[in-house]
Amino acid sequence: MVAHIVRLKWQLLRNGLRRSTPQLVGLTLSALYGLGVLAQGMAGLIALRFALPSDVARIAITIGGSAVTLGWALLPVVAYGIDETLDPARFATFAIPRRQLVLGLLLSSLVSVPAAVTTILALATVITWSRSVLAVLVAPLAAVLAVLTCVALSRVTSTAFSAMSRNRRGKEVVSLLVLVTAVGVGVASSSIIKSLSAPGLLAHVADVLGWTPLGLAWSAPADIVDGAIGSGLLRLLLAVVFLIFALLAWDFLLRGALESPRATSGARAASRRTGLGWFSWLPATPTGAVAARSITSWRRDPRYVSSVALMLLLPLGLLVSPLTGGGSAWSLAMAPAAGFLLGWSTHNDIAYDGTAFWGHVATGVSGRADRIGRLAPTAMAGAVLLPAYATLASALTGRWGLWPAMFGIGLGFLLTGFGVASVMSALKPYPVPGPGENPFGAPPGSSALTVVIQAVAGAAVFVLNLPLLGFGVGALLGHVWMGWLSLGLAVVLGSGALALGTWWGARIYERRAPELLADLARIR
Amino acid sequence: MPSRGISAALSLRGLSKAYGSTLAVDRLDLDVPRGSFFGLVGPNGAGKTTTLSMATGLLRPDAGTAHVLGHDVWSDTVHAKQLVGILPDGLRLFDRLTGLQLICYSGLLRGMDRTVVTGRAHELLGALGLAEAGGTLVVDYSAGMTKKISLACALIHAPRLLVLDEPFEAVDPISASTIRQILEGYAASGGTVILSSHVMDLVQRLCDRVAIVAAGQIRAVGTLDEVRAGMTLEERFVQLVGGQTDVGEALAWLRTSSD
Repeated sequence: MVAHIVRLKWQLLRNGLRRSTPQLVGLTLSALYGLGVLAQGMAGLIALRFALPSDVARIAITIGGSAVTLGWALLPVVAYGIDETLDPARFATFAIPRRQLVLGLLLSSLVSVPAAVTTILALATVITWSRSVLAVLVAPLAAVLAVLTCVALSRVTSTAFSAMSRNRRGKEVVSLLVLVTAVGVGVASSSIIKSLSAPGLLAHVADVLGWTPLGLAWSAPADIVDGAIGSGLLRLLLAVVFLIFALLAWDFLLRGALESPRATSGARAASRRTGLGWFSWLPATPTGAVAARSITSWRRDPRYVSSVALMLLLPLGLLVSPLTGGGSAWSLAMAPAAGFLLGWSTHNDIAYDGTAFWGHVATGVSGRADRIGRLAPTAMAGAVLLPAYATLASALTGRWGLWPAMFGIGLGFLLTGFGVASVMSALKPYPVPGPGENPFGAPPGSSALTVVIQAVAGAAVFVLNLPLLGFGVGALLGHVWMGWLSLGLAVVLGSGALALGTWWGARIYERRAPELLADLARIR
Repeated sequence: MPSRGISAALSLRGLSKAYGSTLAVDRLDLDVPRGSFFGLVGPNGAGKTTTLSMATGLLRPDAGTAHVLGHDVWSDTVHAKQLVGILPDGLRLFDRLTGLQLICYSGLLRGMDRTVVTGRAHELLGALGLAEAGGTLVVDYSAGMTKKISLACALIHAPRLLVLDEPFEAVDPISASTIRQILEGYAASGGTVILSSHVMDLVQRLCDRVAIVAAGQIRAVGTLDEVRAGMTLEERFVQLVGGQTDVGEALAWLRTSSD
């Protein structure tokens, strides 16, 4: 049975690739990227074998390994790209003993590019630790334990999150947890960066991490190399205990997922709404209607709510350093960051419609109305956030002269982002979670493609705004007039990009609307 | 043949669509006369949904043409789409809107006036027995309610041609009779309806013209009596489409009495 599940995952991956060339391209690119990471990691690990004080290897591998483990555990929370190819709920109707299901799903999670890279790097630490015979014997064991812990933790998080986001209340909890995690990671990384200068501190951090579940398996071989055999074996034992504990926790969560697999819409707490809402406030034109529909969806659909939460939180994360007594310079990036994130966030907006998009095709709504209406929610958010963030940062740093530069760069990012998004979302939708599905999940095998497309969109927006950024840097260096220049340029360049983008996007849309609908039907 | 195009509410010529190597619709010709209540029947996978999607501008055909009251669906798109109301099968709705909002959305997208849209939307909700549910999110609707709200969306702009794909699927008898009454009233006032269905009885009762589709082609078309040729529609359907397997002695293990 375990072998069956692993083979199923492999088969799903292969069939998915056979169905779509873009997905194949995506996987190839992510494999290439993985190879790059792998090559660097291998080189580093081999170099550590010859590092003179063996402490360097211990510190590097304990801290690095703990970070990797933490990354695996947190990835399902932060990233949309987590692979839910084998959703446990889909096994609910088959009478598979849960123990076998747990084992099968765990091992099947290893069939992916990130897991392959992690596994190979973990096994490469055997080379690093090849300083004694006993260490060479223990290191592979520790490596396997470390990888299994990574995968198990990520499954625990994703199962817990999809279980929690099953009802409206749970979705709020999830959003809150995302907030806490984002702030927590922000605080941790800023304090780590601060402490990098303090000598001996890294060794201390490694010591502490080495006794936490994150670092147990990674640091065990280091003890063996140093001759502390008892403590090394103790770490291994504790790592096994923790892995079992994680699996039990996952098993417990799975039981919930399997016993109530279908998302029920709460206790039908279908609160009645009266009137037309946004439809009566915005102009009664096709554009106004599309705008009202978008805004209503953004407010009621958890898939948008969670992306809004991320877009708000990431710029706010820049406040962590000033609030914890660090430099306030980071807060200067808040308005530009918000503009950047908001601007191109609708580059795949049509995919969130799913096949409901037929309503636009059937009514023959103009490309212009569709393109412009869809920008309404992000435009509203930008109109509030950009001035607010720029003002907040000016107040924190006391550098009011930078206000036009911050607002200008944010505006430039926002408007050019709108232009890029208007064209991209008319070109080709890529898979997103369907309505009512886990907003943190992603359809099978789509994560690599998602990353590539988002990188392209982000890079396009960034490059278009390079002149603005140049003036912004000038303003930062004290030439305040350059800030005004960047604001002026943002208005000109941004509205140009917006006009061009919506015009071009509308043309593509009108030519391709039926093809877009066909794409949406296929990826759903 | 422009004269013919105008006398027919819907006129399809040589319509074809292939999915990979599978031919879903194969050079299909069909005329739906104005004012008719037209039933399209066929087995699963016969190409009914594909045909109706191509006829309404939702799916681009590989070859062939579709005209709605003389307007080419694929070149005179805007005019053609103004004349048609669609109820597709198996496609989602913007289900985070309330029922009332969804109907109004369909009207506003077509550029209609807000007061007209709201007035008609309330009337439609009342007629369909959804007056109470107008403020509920469509995602919380039952299957039957969802069909009814889709029908309301298709009717809001008073189309001349209604294209309904499986309008009675998963609909309870009471909702079905409501839908039927509305459609009959619409047809009686000169509107044209084309619907696809599996339920022969219903088509027999409702439609005055029928076409039987199989493997992407029309097997029989005409008035109900012409197509039936003295049999019931179901008998004629089975005779034309064939492929019924005789279960005979197969699946013997399924008969629990054999122990």
